[in-house]
Amino acid sequence: MRPTVRARLIRLVGAGALAGSLVLPAAAPVAAADPVVLRVGTTQDFDASNPYQTALVSGYEAFQLTYNLLVDFGPNLEPVPGFADSWERAADRVTFHIRTGMKWSDGQPATSADACFSWQLAVDAIKADSNIGLGYLDPNLKDAGVTKVECPDDQTLIAYTTDQSDRIFQVYLPIIPKHIWGKFDYKTIADQKFDAPLVGTGPYTLAEWKTGQFMRFVRNPNYWGTQGFADEVVIQVFSSADTMVQALKSGDLDYAHDVNADQLKALQNEADIKTVVGSANGWTQLAFNTYGTGTGKTIKGGGPSTPALLDPAFRDALGYAVDHQALVDKVLGGFGDVGNTIVPPVLGQWHVQPDHLRTFDIELAKQKLDAAGYKLDASGNRLDKDGKPITLRMYMPDSSDTYPKSAQFIKDWYGQLGVKVQTKVLDSATLTDLLLPPEAGGSGNLAKYDIELWGWSGNPDPNALLQIFRCDEIGNTSDSNYCNPEYDKLYDQESKLSGDARKTILAQMQNLIYDQAPYDVLYYDANLDAYRTDRFAGWRNMPSNGTPMFTYSTLNYTVLTDAKAVASAPPSTEPAASGASAGPAGPSPSAAPAPSPTSSSGDNTALIVVVAIVVIVVLGGGFFLSRRRAGASAEDE
Amino acid sequence: MGGRYLGRKLAQAFMTIVAIVVLNFLLFRLMPGSPERVLFRNPNLSPEVVAAARVRWGLDKPLIPDQLVAYVESTMTGDLGYSFKFRGQAVTDVIADRVGPTLLLVGLGEIVSIVVGLGLGSYAGWRRGGRVDRVGNGISLILYSMPYFVIGMPLIIIFAAGLHWFPTSGMQSVGGGAKPFLEAMVDLGSHLALPLTTVSLGLIGGYSILMRSSIIETRSEDYITTARAKGLTDGRVLRSHAFPNALLPMVTLIAINLGYVIAGAITAEVVFSWPGLGTLTVSALQSRDYPVLQGIFLLLAVSVVIANFAADLVYGFLDPRVRT
Repeated sequence: MRPTVRARLIRLVGAGALAGSLVLPAAAPVAAADPVVLRVGTTQDFDASNPYQTALVSGYEAFQLTYNLLVDFGPNLEPVPGFADSWERAADRVTFHIRTGMKWSDGQPATSADACFSWQLAVDAIKADSNIGLGYLDPNLKDAGVTKVECPDDQTLIAYTTDQSDRIFQVYLPIIPKHIWGKFDYKTIADQKFDAPLVGTGPYTLAEWKTGQFMRFVRNPNYWGTQGFADEVVIQVFSSADTMVQALKSGDLDYAHDVNADQLKALQNEADIKTVVGSANGWTQLAFNTYGTGTGKTIKGGGPSTPALLDPAFRDALGYAVDHQALVDKVLGGFGDVGNTIVPPVLGQWHVQPDHLRTFDIELAKQKLDAAGYKLDASGNRLDKDGKPITLRMYMPDSSDTYPKSAQFIKDWYGQLGVKVQTKVLDSATLTDLLLPPEAGGSGNLAKYDIELWGWSGNPDPNALLQIFRCDEIGNTSDSNYCNPEYDKLYDQESKLSGDARKTILAQMQNLIYDQAPYDVLYYDANLDAYRTDRFAGWRNMPSNGTPMFTYSTLNYTVLTDAKAVASAPPSTEPAASGASAGPAGPSPSAAPAPSPTSSSGDNTALIVVVAIVVIVVLGGGFFLSRRRAGASAEDE
Repeated sequence: MGGRYLGRKLAQAFMTIVAIVVLNFLLFRLMPGSPERVLFRNPNLSPEVVAAARVRWGLDKPLIPDQLVAYVESTMTGDLGYSFKFRGQAVTDVIADRVGPTLLLVGLGEIVSIVVGLGLGSYAGWRRGGRVDRVGNGISLILYSMPYFVIGMPLIIIFAAGLHWFPTSGMQSVGGGAKPFLEAMVDLGSHLALPLTTVSLGLIGGYSILMRSSIIETRSEDYITTARAKGLTDGRVLRSHAFPNALLPMVTLIAINLGYVIAGAITAEVVFSWPGLGTLTVSALQSRDYPVLQGIFLLLAVSVVIANFAADLVYGFLDPRVRT
């Protein structure tokens, strides 16, 4: 018997030793010839390497590193040379000149044939009134008014357009290699897997992808632009933002995308780490159900619960009861901007401040409601013009805790006016179905809500957000069911214009929606990122009030330099955040306090405290329990 | 026994799996939101594209029987459909990629915790009221009641971010191309260290507590008194007589736990971004990737059924009374 037990024990010890051997820390020093790897962390898992099949920011980042757009986005979202290095505009067309001598990462020549192939896919889809894949990319060409493309020679692409707008220089459509994908059409290209390694003309090409783990990009030796300092870029996926923050602190990461307000505040005091608060191209809003405005239609058994919602004076009055700054401070932890018009300030040149800005004033809101004919009854309820107490149904999705938090404040403020609010948090798919009016087709679409609390994010061009308020979007993207032919007319006008002429009309449109108030834009959200400054230097925000990465351009990956080389140079040579020079009046990135000499010892102190607490809890708890147990067993025996 | 007992258990296991397949189908059809809306998330799609997609996925046919029959048929042939999130990838491929890391982490965790837990529990129970019992049982209770992330996060803060002994997360160091086998193994080991410690610590408590009480029960049995009376040493009585008999109730716990190995330790995997089934479950839930969730549920349910079936067989072998 004994040998058997011993043999078993030996086997067990062996298994333990095997497990133990796996636990040994990797002590191997980094070899000198190791490639320089830029490590970027995100909590958003990558969904698809096929550009037509990605719906996520991380997917856009991946295809933008690998491929060029015909015209790329510059540091301030302005058009800069991409696959084409110059262009000319004529009345009905734009002639693009493709770079000469450009090569794909596999060495094949990159010509206008590739550009024509890529754009033709979208043109074909538009002509067939269809979409490619998820349908996010081809509408860019439709919005630009492109009707036909042709390539008379290897260096020329001519695009015929219906208007003179600038949107043709903001077309989010990657140029993919014809010699690899040329046999597919707009119907079949979206079904292709785009397995790594990919062939591209961008600065880094996708070399490896493991779902839930990482995407690895290698430097494109044939890239036409400045070669970045990093040999490889790794975008690492974290399932917990807390762990991502620890990885940034430990130096396992160079960049962390999308941390929360508390994590950002904690990182602000870390040595060698800089935090960025970038304006997001989007907002969170209250959308009032104004179904019937401009159309006079009603929904049997659905629609808004009170006709008051169709009255601009009522919605205007409610706007005075919302303290937008308090929402930014208390819901967003101070990171974000007070909301007003429907063009976010991050699109600097197009955003205007409203002419008739509403300020937080509950008393004024009450006066305005009284003046508009909405009286209080004896028990303090606000009555609509039918004499019915107003109770608004406010619905929001479960995708972020900022929605219910904001709703609590709004419920309280509206309550002070005598307007009751019933809130409900719903799964986003359920919420979308609930918001739809009969125009969406199908049965059961009754738009049974009063206020929707949700958000939108846009494109580099403001039209993506502006179109939500068009009459023909009711039953589609419109979540206020607002219709105003005057607004539609302005939209059609500005869509054909560029520059100051367009800006003037955009200002009118922003003021119209602000004054008519089908929306109360609560706040413009912020993107909170952080990065290390001890390995890479040259970080800059793109645009100047945005973040360095996960933006519209991947230019930043190529402008990074060796921090150690920069450290010895005079400080003025380090490219400062461009916001410091000529940024628009928007929010500037918050600069982290300069690292103090005590901060590293502060780190150790924190560590020691944590260790001490863990030890005390475990030992103390152990002794406490064992004493109780000892007492109990003494009684037993 | 033999044939009839085995046949009955096999039939039960098969019926359970059939019920799971049907339930799995119905459960996900009760989810809110229409599939095309969940799938596309782009309200600007032309109606023609949406209609074509409905035909392509068979959503234009009635739920029962057409869709159910198609679902059962394809499930039986190992076709679990395509992931909503990872577009163009088969569910079986997505899941297969994640099984290995989970088996490695949770499997090793089980082994370590069974060895340590049984050892600690039996020693503590044998020397009831002694120092090892008092301290060990206290620690076991604390660990047993701690969620994985409470164990894992301090480990990351201390050993990864603080002392830089181990990487914070992931399963491998990425970048710089392929590594030689030995180096890759060392790299894997260093990534495995903290999550494995977390999972092991989390599991040790349960094993140790049950083993301790089992040993305490065994201690008062007549055959132990007999063994002592024969003049055997204390250690030998524990090893040869008490320990093997006290192991019996452990079989149930181990069998049940092994069934759940495949589900992974979700919170431990999430804290360490370990690319296993746990993180896949969380990400599939977040992105409403119903086909992948269906696949995971099926795999989990089948592995629990198999583990229970195996436990029944072992019982039948160990204890003749259950074979009737």
